[in-house]
Amino acid sequence: MENILEIKSVTKNYSSKKAIDNVSFDVPKGEVFGLLGPNGAGKTTLIRMINQITMPDEGEILFENEILSEKHIPFVGYLPEERGLYKKMKVGEVALYLAELKGLKGIEARQRLDAWFEKFEITEWWNKKVEELSKGMQQKVQFITTVLHNPRLLIFDEPFSGFDPLNANLLKQEILSLKENGATIIFSTHNMASVEEICDRIVLINSAHNILSGSVKEIKQRFKTNEYEMITTSSEIEHLITEGVILKSKKQGKDSQTISVLQIPQGKNAELLSSILKETEIISYKEILPTMNDIFIHTVKTNNK
Amino acid sequence: MNKLWIIIKREYLSRVKKKSFFVMTILGPILMVLLIVLPVLLQKSTQKNYNIIVVDETQKTVIEGDTISFFAGKYKSNDVLTFQYSKSVEESQQLLKEGLCDGVLEIVSTSDNPPIKAFLFHGETEISLDATTEIKDQTKQIFKNSVLRVNYNMSEQDIKVVNDPKIGFYTKNIDTGEDSSSALKTVLGVILGFVIYFFIFLFGSQVMRSVGEEKSSRIIEVLASSVKSVYLLFGKIIATALLGLTQIALWIVLTFIILGGISLVEPNILQPKEQSTVQISERVVNVDAMDFTQEEPAFIQQAMQEIQSINFPLIISMFVVYFLLGYLLYGSLFGAVGALIDNDTDNSQFTLPVTVPLILAIICAPMVMSDPSGGVAFWLSIIPFTSPIIMLIRLPFGIPVWQLSVSIVLLILTIFLCVWIASKIYRMGILMYGKNFTWKEVIKWFKKK
Repeated sequence: MENILEIKSVTKNYSSKKAIDNVSFDVPKGEVFGLLGPNGAGKTTLIRMINQITMPDEGEILFENEILSEKHIPFVGYLPEERGLYKKMKVGEVALYLAELKGLKGIEARQRLDAWFEKFEITEWWNKKVEELSKGMQQKVQFITTVLHNPRLLIFDEPFSGFDPLNANLLKQEILSLKENGATIIFSTHNMASVEEICDRIVLINSAHNILSGSVKEIKQRFKTNEYEMITTSSEIEHLITEGVILKSKKQGKDSQTISVLQIPQGKNAELLSSILKETEIISYKEILPTMNDIFIHTVKTNNK
Repeated sequence: MNKLWIIIKREYLSRVKKKSFFVMTILGPILMVLLIVLPVLLQKSTQKNYNIIVVDETQKTVIEGDTISFFAGKYKSNDVLTFQYSKSVEESQQLLKEGLCDGVLEIVSTSDNPPIKAFLFHGETEISLDATTEIKDQTKQIFKNSVLRVNYNMSEQDIKVVNDPKIGFYTKNIDTGEDSSSALKTVLGVILGFVIYFFIFLFGSQVMRSVGEEKSSRIIEVLASSVKSVYLLFGKIIATALLGLTQIALWIVLTFIILGGISLVEPNILQPKEQSTVQISERVVNVDAMDFTQEEPAFIQQAMQEIQSINFPLIISMFVVYFLLGYLLYGSLFGAVGALIDNDTDNSQFTLPVTVPLILAIICAPMVMSDPSGGVAFWLSIIPFTSPIIMLIRLPFGIPVWQLSVSIVLLILTIFLCVWIASKIYRMGILMYGKNFTWKEVIKWFKKK
């Protein structure tokens, strides 16, 4: 798989503290890539280096196999976590200005803006001053300015914060359709539910280091504990459990069903199931995979020890 | 470079379109015109003209068979005073009581030589200090002239020579070989120096505020991901310089338009006061041949000479050069300070080091004015941080070319250094939030590569 971005042994120092220490990872083309980590881990520093706002002190960043340089600026779109526009300027003028800075020509920028404003049904905002818009409205405008120049790499830092569920959903659909159109998306968030929903791959940064990276699927497999949830009609299952299997918990579900959590060593499933099926009925049986939330907490905690 | 142009365009247009720019542009010239016109208007409207009756008893005196009047008919009427003459003290005092005049000046004679015993002033109401002084001065002068004529038999011509000796006082600047005389030049220098000071402060702090706004509104993060951040600083500095030049040009044009309009409506208002005041009263009988207006052209001539000795093209071009250079120096530093400050906290620790040299220059201005080629003046006009102001104060007096060159070259070198320092501080400062910097930290940024 081709990488759009390769971070190679990058280190960045601030004053006396290391903000990023020898971090490496690749971002494959066309995926949604989650950049995760607790507050102050160094995510923003990393994002700023990818945006060329600051330069790495050591190591290098490759963009499509070339060392990241000024000519790549038009290929990147960035929606920072802390958003802001010129308050006193008209919405349309700010959007045009930001588009021109990204290298779009005036006429083209205007046409694309018109299309986006129509799509988001905000055409009447064009001549309003930014300060007249609500925070959520401003964010919509800023989202448009981020994607307007059709960047190949998009960086969204907490894009959903400040949006109501309706608009958050609209935004999510837009992000996914950008991905379908071939863009790569780096997505930084603390919302693990949305990571599971849209990320293909993640990297977890903690205290300036890369402590976990890989595809979401693979990471979940890696962290699975061989636990299964089984719902049975009878609660009397203890004596049916085969050797090596541990009953972690058992509770009463609705309609006199019993929900049990079992830890089953690999290859022992068939044996257990046939044993249980002798006396009771199994309504459902599924593997419990850890949530990204669990993995995040577990990994960061272990790393901090 | 294309992006720098886009930035300059936005910075310039967004500022020109601001209401505050419009207000400043309109108010500036109006204030300036008011400053010129108001004092004249006020003086004209509040000034009372005092009607004074002079009773000259010395008229009766006879010397060598001639009747000579020492004072009668010799006072000059002007805006403040109108003189009339009478022979009877009682009659005059009666007029004073009836309110038909404001004062009676009685000159009491004696048989001594000179035949004057005393000057008595009768008045119903207090007359203004100006008027009193004027009466005293004129009386002294007339007394002197009369004594010279009567007792020393001097001719009109000789008296005029004694009173107004045409002794030219010129100083020649050895370095520049130019004539110099000071009064007008001091005024010109001070105006130039203060205007530069004002502009550097005004436009420098505009850069600072604008950097601070971009930082606190967080748009800087997006901007910095689109262009090199120093372009943002340079674009701002250049756009503000253009804005400054626009404003100066508009002020000059508007001031002239308003002044032109006023002088069309009321042509007299802008005339220098002296010219209109020197009139010989028509009411005076027996006007002497002595022509007091003679003094006037001499004064004007001298002023003209002084003005002619000033090298205006040099001053105007140097004004623009020093304004731009001084602004670039301070504007870049103000920009760096803007990147360090946080909206809600006390920022004087950062603004102070930048403003102190400017204020120092203004504090030293009187010293420079009194001795424009002295040591303090020389060094302050060479040192880059004070030179834009001090050099302008010195400039009308003539500056040797080598001093100008050294000052400008040093200033330009310092600008390069300051812009380099400023862009470094700016680059770091704009991305740092939520903490108060100390100078120690800022200096650390420089130790790092």
